[in-house]
Amino acid sequence: MLIFDELKKNDPQLRLVAAVLAGGLCLLLAGLWWVQIVSAREYESHLETQSYRTVRIPAVRGKILDRNGQVLAENGPQYNLSLYLDDLRKPFDDAYGQALARVRAAQEQLMAAQEKKLGRPLTKIERRQFALSPDQREQLREQARFHVASDVVMQISERLGQPLQLDATVFDRHYEARRALPYTLLTNLDTVQIARFEEQYTGTLGVDLDLQPVRIYPFGEIAGHLLGYLQRDDRSEQGEDASFSYRLPDYHGIVGIEGGCDAELRGRAGAEAVLVNNLGYRQSVNTLSPSEPGHNVVLTLDMDIEQAAAESIERRQGADARAAAVVMDVRTGDVLAMVSSPAINPDYSANDPKYLADPKLRPQINRATQENYAPGSIFKTIVGLACLEKGLNPEQTYYVQEDPTRPGRGCIYIGRRKIDDTVTPGPYNFKRAIMHSSNAYFITNGLHAGVENIVRLGEEFHLGERTSLPTRQETAGIFPSLDDVNSSGWHDGDTANLCIGQGDIAVTPIQMAVMVSAIANGGRVLWPRLVERIEPQDPTSAEAPAVFPSGVVRNELGVHPRSLKILRDAMLAETEDPEGTGYPAKVPGMRICGKTGTAQVMDEHNRITGHNYWFASFAPYENPRYAVVVMVETEAGGSGGLTCAPIAHDIYEEIQKRENVDTPKTLAEANH
Amino acid sequence: MSTTPLNQEHHERFDRLQLAALGGLMIIGTLFVYSATMANPVMAAVPWYDQAWLRQLVWYALGLGAGAALCVLDYHTLARWSFVAYWVTIFFLIVVLVPHIGSMRFGARRWIDLGPFQFQPSEFAKLAFILASAHFLSRPADELRVPLTFWKGIGLLLLPFALTLKEPDLGSALVLLPTGLVMMYVAGTPKGYLLKLMGAVGLLAALFLVDVLFVPPGWWQISMEPYQRDRLLVYFGRDYTAFASPNATPAELQRLRQQELDDQYNVRQALISVGSGGLTGKGWRQGTQNALGYLPRAVAHNDFIFSVIAEEEGFIGSLIVLGLYALVLFSGLRIAGQARDRLGRLVAVGVVTLIFSHVFINIGMNIRIMPVTGVPLPLLSYGGSSVLGSLIAVGLMQNVHIHRKGY
Repeated sequence: MLIFDELKKNDPQLRLVAAVLAGGLCLLLAGLWWVQIVSAREYESHLETQSYRTVRIPAVRGKILDRNGQVLAENGPQYNLSLYLDDLRKPFDDAYGQALARVRAAQEQLMAAQEKKLGRPLTKIERRQFALSPDQREQLREQARFHVASDVVMQISERLGQPLQLDATVFDRHYEARRALPYTLLTNLDTVQIARFEEQYTGTLGVDLDLQPVRIYPFGEIAGHLLGYLQRDDRSEQGEDASFSYRLPDYHGIVGIEGGCDAELRGRAGAEAVLVNNLGYRQSVNTLSPSEPGHNVVLTLDMDIEQAAAESIERRQGADARAAAVVMDVRTGDVLAMVSSPAINPDYSANDPKYLADPKLRPQINRATQENYAPGSIFKTIVGLACLEKGLNPEQTYYVQEDPTRPGRGCIYIGRRKIDDTVTPGPYNFKRAIMHSSNAYFITNGLHAGVENIVRLGEEFHLGERTSLPTRQETAGIFPSLDDVNSSGWHDGDTANLCIGQGDIAVTPIQMAVMVSAIANGGRVLWPRLVERIEPQDPTSAEAPAVFPSGVVRNELGVHPRSLKILRDAMLAETEDPEGTGYPAKVPGMRICGKTGTAQVMDEHNRITGHNYWFASFAPYENPRYAVVVMVETEAGGSGGLTCAPIAHDIYEEIQKRENVDTPKTLAEANH
Repeated sequence: MSTTPLNQEHHERFDRLQLAALGGLMIIGTLFVYSATMANPVMAAVPWYDQAWLRQLVWYALGLGAGAALCVLDYHTLARWSFVAYWVTIFFLIVVLVPHIGSMRFGARRWIDLGPFQFQPSEFAKLAFILASAHFLSRPADELRVPLTFWKGIGLLLLPFALTLKEPDLGSALVLLPTGLVMMYVAGTPKGYLLKLMGAVGLLAALFLVDVLFVPPGWWQISMEPYQRDRLLVYFGRDYTAFASPNATPAELQRLRQQELDDQYNVRQALISVGSGGLTGKGWRQGTQNALGYLPRAVAHNDFIFSVIAEEEGFIGSLIVLGLYALVLFSGLRIAGQARDRLGRLVAVGVVTLIFSHVFINIGMNIRIMPVTGVPLPLLSYGGSSVLGSLIAVGLMQNVHIHRKGY
């Protein structure tokens, strides 16, 4: 080869020159190899960091639907008007050029005037004083940009017939920090504005409409607690690229279904790469990874029942009522309705912050699952069941003695302590005791059966434990353990309190719905089910929906069916007998079994500050399908029967209406 | 090639291999001047007949014409006129320094404006220097031992060197040094002289660098253009803040750091261009560094054309470019070896060294093994004077080749 020929030549001087040349070329070659082969990746990443701006594109959030396909939460389009800076680059430059020429001309005049004054040409140093500093140029540039942009905004403003103002500092900050992204001028255009813009848009302004999804809750505040709410959070998920130059607005669910099923609803954010030139303007946009839309969450909820329950509470107790209602399918554990009052709007920003912070109303709490309430007399169902299991003869009568201080009312003495009974003195069997909710009867028989047996049965019902709803809004309640009741600190007085659902016990409405369901369905304690399935948004997707099994048994009570029958009969009498406390719940054509309850709420000085009224029920008696639990927290007078049973009545009416429409296919059957 | 008997090669009138390599370089030059300029919307908007790639083609044609014209006359005839050419270019080098005649661009007076085009006397001064120096050094080797002759040779080199440096055009001045030294060495100047000379040059260079890099402001500093000092600081990776006065405010330090970043900008972007090309490159006209303007538009098509080639064609492209230059250079050395006399040999060696110095400095600055100096890449960089100069230089070499037998 030529090179080696030269290196081999018998001409020492040329040979040395050839060697130096070859060495030099080899050095270049080695350098190029180092830069282009060994360090190629490093320089590629330099190239990317300087010329690509990555943008995090949130995925389309999944919908939330009820069991019949009614939409509870979805995404609507919001149109924003945006200024595209890359299209305005030339006008920016032109305006700057003109401004610079103007300023220069002015400076020339000043210099000419100065020369005239001095009568001699200015020296170089003197002229330099008139030159523009880089800062002045930058300022001119900034002004030129702002002029161009605000001119465009003015034109748009005229076309839309809406005054628009461009804020110089905001615009400049956007230009400096987010130049590759469009500048949003106006958010949430209405249809008239969109039409006007589309009609009159000439396409040369550097302005265009941007589509941004917004979360919409078509039912407003209905089921607001259950749905939860979203919070702006643009951060990256785990397993996602952590570094983005820009992030488009994204939202994370905080509580409720939006919170509990956030991972499924949110999908996977995608990434776009915006290629920018050396001045930071947008050149082109590539999708690096497309976003994967979130999944739809189908609830077990029936929005008609939910709505009826919410409306009933509002109609009967007012919008500020502190109340909760839970409707559950006793055979499957499906939650058909879950209402908490006062309502909250799932569109969090639509709520009045003062209202949200109200210490008495506490609208943020989901009262169906998130607050401890003393169950009062509805706990007598469990006490009664424990007594029956311990051999209580339901027909055996117990004589309630008269309270010496309150003629016509009963009482019972535990040691030296007197406990009031609201029933009239006289003989009570099991049925009458349930119907009239006699304290004396259940305290006496409860003590007789032994507190351990009551606690054991309560534990079978999983009182004091969460029901594992995905809403992140659950409290476990309070229930004494066997150790507690066996300790020396536990007295008969405590047992007496427990027998009437007071003292060391607290429950949530959802726990009571599970309890009533177990009584109704023959002793199966179910896991409540709120989410029926999670399915892809695209109905043509090949991905199979994830179906959550229904009717999952958490525990079999193992009580005798005869005991349950006795209890159910007594509960039936409570609503069907005109003397029964639950009579106001009665719905013609539907046999409802119920138990009312009233628990006193005390402050720290043991003064009664209010009451929790309860109505726990199920229907129909013959073939139980629905459990309805209503709870109202109030300072006003009332009772479980007068305050809560009418709400249950309304709910059952709605259920009956639906049953008639669907006959013979009931909701529960449709689910199987 | 090694199997070809020597006498067969001698049948060729021109050195075809060298001409083929030149042709390859000119094709690449046209393609990438096109690529570098068409990515710039301002340059692309120029009418086709006024575009850089076409102008480059015209310069190639003119240069080939000039080179061919030079081949008509025997290089001995040319050498007799070399001192006339030498003094004419020296005259222009002085004229260019005169304000109102030499036109100022990028802070240097290197160009003489001739209306439709501008020419850079230093490009031609290099050629005239080679011819004159070859003519001077081709005297019998014994005479070269005389110190006076040696100093005259040095003087011949220093005059254009100093004038070019004054423009300032550090790059063009620098390429004269190796060219002159190599020619003196090949001519047979005693090694002792050359070693002493190189020692002296090295010492001066070292003192110069120490002064530039380490002496704080306020002390005695060699006067030079600020941008030249900055380029050297950047090349040697010196921290600008080291030159701040001890009581500098944070804002001043910040400003110095920013300036350091700004000064590093070209080198950094060139490196990113070359490095991100990888093995195979991004494809012709697909380079983003140039298209997006990260590689400064003013230099992408001339001094930094190699970055564009390396980004778009990768290591393979770089290899082809280096290979073509190697062919030109080594066929040049072959011409020197086969030359009829010492004059031809010296002319060929001078041209080879000149081209090599350009290639080495230019490609070297793209990959940061050399500081940034405005040295064009022969035949690839856009620019009339450079193209013309390179092709005339090659014409001289071919002249030596054609007249090697004296016909």
